Amino acid sequence: MKLFAIFVVRNKTQPAKALAEAKDVSSFGFFQRSSVGEFMTFMAQTIAERTKAGQRQSIEESNYIGHVYARTEGVAGVVITDKDYPTRVAFGLLNKVLDEFTTRYPNIDRLVPSNSPSSSATEQVCSYPELQQYLVTYQDPKQADTIMMVQRELDETKIILHKTIESVLERGEKMESLVERSGELSTQSRIFYKTAKKQNACCVIS
Amino acid sequence: MDRSAEFFSTVESLRSRAQPHIAPDTRRLISPIEQQQSCGLAPGLNAATARPKSEFALMASLINRDILTTAGKLQKLARRKYLSLDELIFIIKQDIAKLNKQIAQLQLYLREQGSKSGISTGKQVQEHNINVVLMLQSRLAAQTSAFKDVLELRTENMKATKDRREQFMFTTHQQADAFPRDSPLYNFDRRPSSSTNPPRDVLSLDLSTPFQNLQQQQQQEQVQLADSSNQYLESRSTAIESIESTLQELGGIFQQLAQMVSEQRDMVQRIDANTEDIEANVTGAQTELLKYYKYVSSNRWLMVKVFAVLVSSAVTMSVLS
Repeated sequence: MKLFAIFVVRNKTQPAKALAEAKDVSSFGFFQRSSVGEFMTFMAQTIAERTKAGQRQSIEESNYIGHVYARTEGVAGVVITDKDYPTRVAFGLLNKVLDEFTTRYPNIDRLVPSNSPSSSATEQVCSYPELQQYLVTYQDPKQADTIMMVQRELDETKIILHKTIESVLERGEKMESLVERSGELSTQSRIFYKTAKKQNACCVIS
Repeated sequence: MDRSAEFFSTVESLRSRAQPHIAPDTRRLISPIEQQQSCGLAPGLNAATARPKSEFALMASLINRDILTTAGKLQKLARRKYLSLDELIFIIKQDIAKLNKQIAQLQLYLREQGSKSGISTGKQVQEHNINVVLMLQSRLAAQTSAFKDVLELRTENMKATKDRREQFMFTTHQQADAFPRDSPLYNFDRRPSSSTNPPRDVLSLDLSTPFQNLQQQQQQEQVQLADSSNQYLESRSTAIESIESTLQELGGIFQQLAQMVSEQRDMVQRIDANTEDIEANVTGAQTELLKYYKYVSSNRWLMVKVFAVLVSSAVTMSVLS
């Protein structure tokens, strides 16, 4: 389950422009890396263009899936993963990233006018270094997604509880044996007492 | 239906809170001017102290104005029930965040000013500035709490209207609209634009039937559009349901555990009673044995004495005869 890239794309104007990105191409061979990176950027821009505001989509392409969520402000987030990555976690990550981005740069239209041709200007304006960090943490969806963490802890707790119940059953058996033994001891001690009493009562031994 | 009275009361309270904003605003603008006029001692010192003060006053008045505009937006939010609520909510949230930042900047500026000028700004002026900042912060906090109240009222009202509509509406419309309408009720912070459309469609469906075909088309389109986000939301809800069922199982397991332990409590009590019996018996037997031992040892001692006396008497008798 791998997460390949996260993009924040502006899709209010066609053609869409990538505002912030973070890529992890370490799993590909050295010579393929740049082409794969370009392909992912192109794919992100294309999907963002074709998504209306307020819509979520998951698009499958060869062996990648691109999850895209477009917001009403005109920015869309795209996450490119492989097929096994759970969709829910991808959209959760998109929500989080886009919320942060829009609170940090609320007036994206003012900062990046639609007719600016150079992409270097946008990269200077919208710096979002946490994207790389998110990319790293979300590589393992079980660690990053809260719902999955809760589920995992609950499962562990259930296993522990099963073991506890087994040990309680063992304790029950041991208690049974203890009850028996203490009963036997009790009768034997009673006999002992009676014999001792009898000793004292009648015969005088010379 | 009856919640509109609560809305109006909130609006009245906001309005009464908004009015005192204006008076201190003008007072603060006047005070640096008065202070400039009053301390005419050293013009150089005057200019130096007056400029940072009026800057501070400017920033404070700006913040106050922003708070006022946010209050105005909040009033609009309270009045207009369904139309552009999500955008307004988002705008108000952003304004509040911005105001927070501005107040923090003002505080930093105040501290820098205090460390830079040192003696020239009097202690009272510093205190006054600090008080101004505190007052701005408290006002902002009051605004946010009013905002939260309005949002809660809005959810309650929407739920009430939804219940009302469910009583009177046909089931087909319900099925088409139920899911997109759920999202603004349950996910407050998401702002899908499709959420604002269905209520309007429902209203228009209630009123006039000639527009039904067009509205149905729009509805279907929105259902398709909402479908992909529905899928995501459905997956989330299934995940949370599975968590809920796991929790229920855990609860059952804990109950079983408690029951088993309480069953074993009876066995523990039996063991306790048995061991107490054993202890009593054994101590009793020990006492008996002690008695016997004493008896036995004492008897021998007596016997020895008696035997000695007999022997001595037999010896004396033989000696005599």
